[in-house]
Amino acid sequence: MGRIWAVARNTFVSAIRMKTAIVFMAMLLILLPILSYTSTGDGTAIGRVQSFVSYGMGLVSFLLSMLTIVVSCYTLSSDVKHKRVYSVVTKPIRRFEFVIGKAMGVILLDLLLLAVFSAVIYGLTIYMPRFAKTSDEELVRLKNEFFTARASLKMTIDKQEIEKQAYDVYNELVRTGQLDESRSRESVMTELRNAAKYNMYAAGPGGMVLWEFQRVKPFDVNESLFIRFKFNAAQTPADKNLYGVWYIGDSRQTQGGPETMKTPIYQIPRKDVVDTMQEFEVPADAVAADGYLAVGFYNEPMNNTAVIFPIEDGFEVLYKAGGFGGNFISAILLMLARLVFLACLGVSLTTWVGFPVAILCSLTIFFTGVINGFVVQSFDYLGQNMAIFYNVTIKPVIWLLPKFDQNYNVNKYLIDARMIKYGFLAMAAGVLLLKSLILLLVGFLIFAKRELAKVVI
Amino acid sequence: MESALPMEFYLKRVFVVSEKSQFAVETFGLTKVFGDWWGRSRVVAVEDLNLKVNRNEVFGLLGPNGSGKTTIIKMLLGLLHPTKGRALVLGGVSRDPKITARIGFLPEESYLYPYLNARETLDFYGRLFGLNSKVRASRIDALLDMVGLAGMASRPIGTFSKGMARRIGLAQALINDPELLILDEPTSGLDPIGTKQIKDLIVELAKRGKTVLLCSHLLADAEEVCDRMAIMYGGHIQRLGSVDELLKQTNKRQITTGVLTEDAIQKIRSIVEKQGSEFEVSEPMQRLESYFIEVVRQAHKEKRPTSGAVNRLDATQAEATAAVSDVLDRLVSAKVETQKQAEIKQSVETIAIEPDKSVLTKLTQSSDENLTTPVSKIEKPAAEAQNPENIKKNILDELVGRQGLAEDEKNG
Repeated sequence: MGRIWAVARNTFVSAIRMKTAIVFMAMLLILLPILSYTSTGDGTAIGRVQSFVSYGMGLVSFLLSMLTIVVSCYTLSSDVKHKRVYSVVTKPIRRFEFVIGKAMGVILLDLLLLAVFSAVIYGLTIYMPRFAKTSDEELVRLKNEFFTARASLKMTIDKQEIEKQAYDVYNELVRTGQLDESRSRESVMTELRNAAKYNMYAAGPGGMVLWEFQRVKPFDVNESLFIRFKFNAAQTPADKNLYGVWYIGDSRQTQGGPETMKTPIYQIPRKDVVDTMQEFEVPADAVAADGYLAVGFYNEPMNNTAVIFPIEDGFEVLYKAGGFGGNFISAILLMLARLVFLACLGVSLTTWVGFPVAILCSLTIFFTGVINGFVVQSFDYLGQNMAIFYNVTIKPVIWLLPKFDQNYNVNKYLIDARMIKYGFLAMAAGVLLLKSLILLLVGFLIFAKRELAKVVI
Repeated sequence: MESALPMEFYLKRVFVVSEKSQFAVETFGLTKVFGDWWGRSRVVAVEDLNLKVNRNEVFGLLGPNGSGKTTIIKMLLGLLHPTKGRALVLGGVSRDPKITARIGFLPEESYLYPYLNARETLDFYGRLFGLNSKVRASRIDALLDMVGLAGMASRPIGTFSKGMARRIGLAQALINDPELLILDEPTSGLDPIGTKQIKDLIVELAKRGKTVLLCSHLLADAEEVCDRMAIMYGGHIQRLGSVDELLKQTNKRQITTGVLTEDAIQKIRSIVEKQGSEFEVSEPMQRLESYFIEVVRQAHKEKRPTSGAVNRLDATQAEATAAVSDVLDRLVSAKVETQKQAEIKQSVETIAIEPDKSVLTKLTQSSDENLTTPVSKIEKPAAEAQNPENIKKNILDELVGRQGLAEDEKNG
């Protein structure tokens, strides 16, 4: 361990003294306070803070990722290129210890910089509302919708039910002879499945969409639930507004009459613009003692059109489940896991290729990670036609690619004050660390066999 | 190219580390062929090399550029894989940390970390050997002093001249008090004073039972310090033997005298010519190295400013030797406390000489020339050196014997 630490320390000290690290640090230390001053968002206090955290965390995450890629690709390759490695590996240190030490050095640098910059962002975020004039109402909104950590309840898709509905419709089309015979069965079924999904959370004029949730545990029943939604209309009205009534509470109580009511059912009429994210608040005591919660949306007949809630982001219930500080630390830990992966990637690549190739590969993998969802979808689509080949070749490689987007993007959590669940954090960080370990193992094997003084004539 | 390997080679494949090898370095049909990008053989750098370097000898690998010297060293240290054959270092393979813990290596150029300063550099290498902080601190001070860079310990290596970096390179090679010191072009980039110091150091290390494998194309330097040498060309050893064996001209004689009168010279000439031999009279030249050192020593005495390395120029030759000796004492006497280091020392067979510190200190601190001179007069047992037990016994006996002598002289 002493030898690994010696290499790590040396790597860390060298990286700190490199001008690259200084430039990155200076850039962030200048840009972050400027951002805190210039961020305006939608003009509200919460908008300002959300905008700052979004740009600030995005900037820190991006620049630290770039720094990690540069340093991790440079440190080992430079030792090999400038032959410094001759004086190191001829000492009583095993080559895997040298590789681990290099990765650890870069991770140490990340730890330090992440600690500094996250402290700067946290401090500026906390004090931002005090810099500008903020009304009491805005402060309450900040407390409820930003400086908190809210758990999220989302729509679930019953795949079996969707499959059944699609199958029934398909059989009906066959029976009635309405099936277009020029199309394949799979193509028709895919279309029918999509239609079934589409209809699952849709309601015609005078119809109702219902969401039911079990095991809902608000932090405090005196706090609020936040209903976040976005809907579309089958035929968008001229003023783009739709009318509806929301029912929130334990819907099971309505079957037994008013005397059986133990928890309130809130009824909230609203008029909202289509295709825009909306959020409103209801008291958390609507949740039944056993954790049951139902939310219904009644589509007013006057709309004269069907209302559709998109599967991905059409509906969500948020409720307070933790504090902002804890959530911020979880976000930083998720970011650290990403940096650890990038550090191991760079060091692992340079156990067998030089700096230019390593940095090109690292950048490609980084940007692939940023659009991972799209990449995976694309390959999945291609894989449908060559399943076996895809499963044994491309799929494992795709699995090794990191995921930095969608649920792995920390901004998504902090801006909307969504709780990063510990289970998710452990899983996401664990998978990234496992991938890092695999990369390092490959690096060890290559470096252990490598002829460091090899000359190609 | 295919050649049968001796049975010894196959036995050593099985009994590598457990065996007490009498050789510090041993190669069996060692061959290295460099290929092109497609893996096709292009250059035979070393071919079928069977080299044996005895323990406690200074062995020189000489040869022109591209003769395969550095390739041999790189194979010995595991930086290159032999295309064929095998190399043993201190009875084991150099990838084994127990073996590398006993080796000091100075590469052909001082490949150091430019962002670290001199002290941090030595501290880093000391940590790789598992030395504890006290030992590291003590050795770093001693080594910085020895290489004349004590005053520049906090300067980043990146700002050093080539020669100064070379000195730090040498210091890092000595930080573990190695049994085997492998020096690749050690005097490259050094000024004559640094060159002289390195030669003194090599001689002093050899006296202490260390083995030095020296690779150089500066023949004069090698000639002065090597016990045996191999002259390489085209990846093969062309000549191998002791310096005397290789260089002695048995058909000539040299007589050195004081100033002679013309009459005396004529008399000698007539005698020699009667013998049928050639006769030549000349005034011997002072060596440029000695002359240079004298000039710089004078400038140092006059306290002329310099931003370079500061050597002990005010010292006499005996004092300079004593100073090197003192540094080496500090290296070997610093107690290594780490358990791992202790385990390494126990688990591997060693011929490192552990001199009695009190004896060495007395020898180096005394102003009596008689006390220091005998140390330099210790004859290295060339033939006996093959037996590690003999080496240890002989040198320690000599040292203790001298101490007895010194005490006898003091007493009466």
